[in-house]
Amino acid sequence: MAEVVFDQASRIYTPGAKPAVDSLDLTVADGDLVVLVGPSGSGKSTALRMLAGLEPIDAGSVRIDGRDVVDVPSKDRDIAMVFQNYALYPSKTVAENMAFPLKMRGMPKEERAQRVRQAAEMLGLSEYLDRKPKALSGGQRQRVAMGRAIVREPQVFLMDEPLSNLDAKMRVQTRAQIAEMQNRLEVSTVYVTHDQVEAMTMGDKVAVLADGKLQQYATPPELYDRPINAFVAGFIGSPAMNLLELPRSSSGVTLGGIEIPLPRDVSDAAGSRDRLTVGVRPEDWVLESTGSDAGSVVKAVVDVVEELGSESYLYAHLAEDTSTSIVVRGPGRVQVRFGDPIAVRPNPDALHVFDTETGQRLP
Amino acid sequence: MTTTTERPTAAPESTGGTPMVDRAEGWRRRAPLLPALVFTIIVTQIPFILTLYYSLQSWNLVRPGSQEFVWFANYGDVFADSQFRTVALNTVIMTLGSVLIAVVLGLLLALLLNRQFAGRGVVRTLLITPFLITPVAAALLWKTVLLDPTLGLINFVLTPFGGSGTEWISNYPLASVMAALIWQWTPFMMLLLLAGLQSMPTDQLEAARVDGASAWSTFRELTLPHLRRFIELGVVLGTIYLVNIFDQVYMMTQGGPGVASANLPFYIYQRAFLGFDIGQSAAMGVVVVILTLIAANFALRLIFKSFSGEQEAA
Repeated sequence: MAEVVFDQASRIYTPGAKPAVDSLDLTVADGDLVVLVGPSGSGKSTALRMLAGLEPIDAGSVRIDGRDVVDVPSKDRDIAMVFQNYALYPSKTVAENMAFPLKMRGMPKEERAQRVRQAAEMLGLSEYLDRKPKALSGGQRQRVAMGRAIVREPQVFLMDEPLSNLDAKMRVQTRAQIAEMQNRLEVSTVYVTHDQVEAMTMGDKVAVLADGKLQQYATPPELYDRPINAFVAGFIGSPAMNLLELPRSSSGVTLGGIEIPLPRDVSDAAGSRDRLTVGVRPEDWVLESTGSDAGSVVKAVVDVVEELGSESYLYAHLAEDTSTSIVVRGPGRVQVRFGDPIAVRPNPDALHVFDTETGQRLP
Repeated sequence: MTTTTERPTAAPESTGGTPMVDRAEGWRRRAPLLPALVFTIIVTQIPFILTLYYSLQSWNLVRPGSQEFVWFANYGDVFADSQFRTVALNTVIMTLGSVLIAVVLGLLLALLLNRQFAGRGVVRTLLITPFLITPVAAALLWKTVLLDPTLGLINFVLTPFGGSGTEWISNYPLASVMAALIWQWTPFMMLLLLAGLQSMPTDQLEAARVDGASAWSTFRELTLPHLRRFIELGVVLGTIYLVNIFDQVYMMTQGGPGVASANLPFYIYQRAFLGFDIGQSAAMGVVVVILTLIAANFALRLIFKSFSGEQEAA
């Protein structure tokens, strides 16, 4: 139960080079689950390891419950960590693995056994307590790693891509279990993943990182509805938002021969820029009949159709400008196939507009 | 063409999928291996059978015409020989003592080399060199350069502490030979254990750090169990090599004084080529082979068990 604060925290591997984590400012409110998400090399794992005490903090500070931990060794930070490969101790049984952090803190044997039993019950591991990790399935190993973190009753949980070694079905199931357990235990949690679906579904708040820099720190809906720049817009959401670089026209921008009007505040903010990056989420395209008036719809040709059952995604390129590709969400059953023409119209109320140069959201 | 037409007819006879092969075909396939097999039999099994035969004879080379068949009298003599028992005990002490001390020292050095420090490559190379020196040369080095009572470096170093003049090799013959063996075999253990240490997954060590383990607990609870099979391998391999070591004993002490530092290979050599008692030395050889087979069987089983059973869990 603690607040975690990154205050201008940086990690510089080689002096003079670009920092792996660059002046990170982040506050994890007490009891929240915060997800650090970003592509490979974005510094998300490094940030977590700085909090864990496995990487030094070269500049700035990190505070747990108000205490500066820059010079505090891992074991005294009152944290527990779940590793990507679980890092279970192969020579120890499940029970010994889970009891290890307690044993290292000198807890009496009976109390240790008691806590391990409770955690095992919660995680459905009671019947495996005497097994060695190698005799467990991937999902069970993952739960043992969780158990080893839980028994500690730490102030903060750290999780470094804990689901990435599980198969897709197991991942969805465990994702929900972790979120539910975290809610119940109300322990502040920092969770690292490269999977934006995990970030969106699990996080109370999500921090998007790229190139060692924090891009946006917000709740999942806010991140989705108002991405602060083109990177966040393209990273959050699957399939990704369509980011189209379009020329200005008198009242808005021009796409595939049609005029898309922009809201007043956006065009004011855009000023005299003659090109803008306009983002349209796949679900913000409106499919029209191909016979519609040429001035009101964008014509495109379908390349690939992905039918997911409840919905389908049409990957298409514009008829007028074949180098521009778009993704359109359609209903679960669509009649179009490869090479078919379609006509779409962006929903004017759901446009995201970014400065083409800086990528910043307008306004 | 003929083979391709024959195969389908042979296939239905087989149960496991491979076509059954008749005896002549089987011999034809094995024929290329025969020269190697014959050679191996000639150089290993025939001498052994001859040794068995000699061990049943009373035969001393210095008394021509003394050769006669005595059944198992030689074996009786061997077990009644108190020197043989002393030498057998020496062999156990020398072998196991040297191996165990070398493992402990090797572990300490491996732990040291597993850390980052300036000049690590140079230190590692220097530490390996004893293993690369010819055993005879190493033995001479220990006998003259280090342990010599008047010219030796050890006594020279000990002089300021009033320890000069010790006759190391005469007073502590077994320990002197063992010191040379340990010096030579520690690098081997070190390399083996260093490989083990470097195969230790780093995330386990990091997990231990977060879990609050001290350096000593991490070593005892995680590193040592991980190294177990490497230690076992080192002990077994070291034992196999050291149980029939000859050079150091021959060069440093000639097994003496008496048989105080003799091991079984040296004692058998003494009886055969200095005492010329072919029958007795052959009987001793047979006894040693049997004991070694038993010990090696246990040792190899241990290795196979720890390397197949205790696979690394992710």
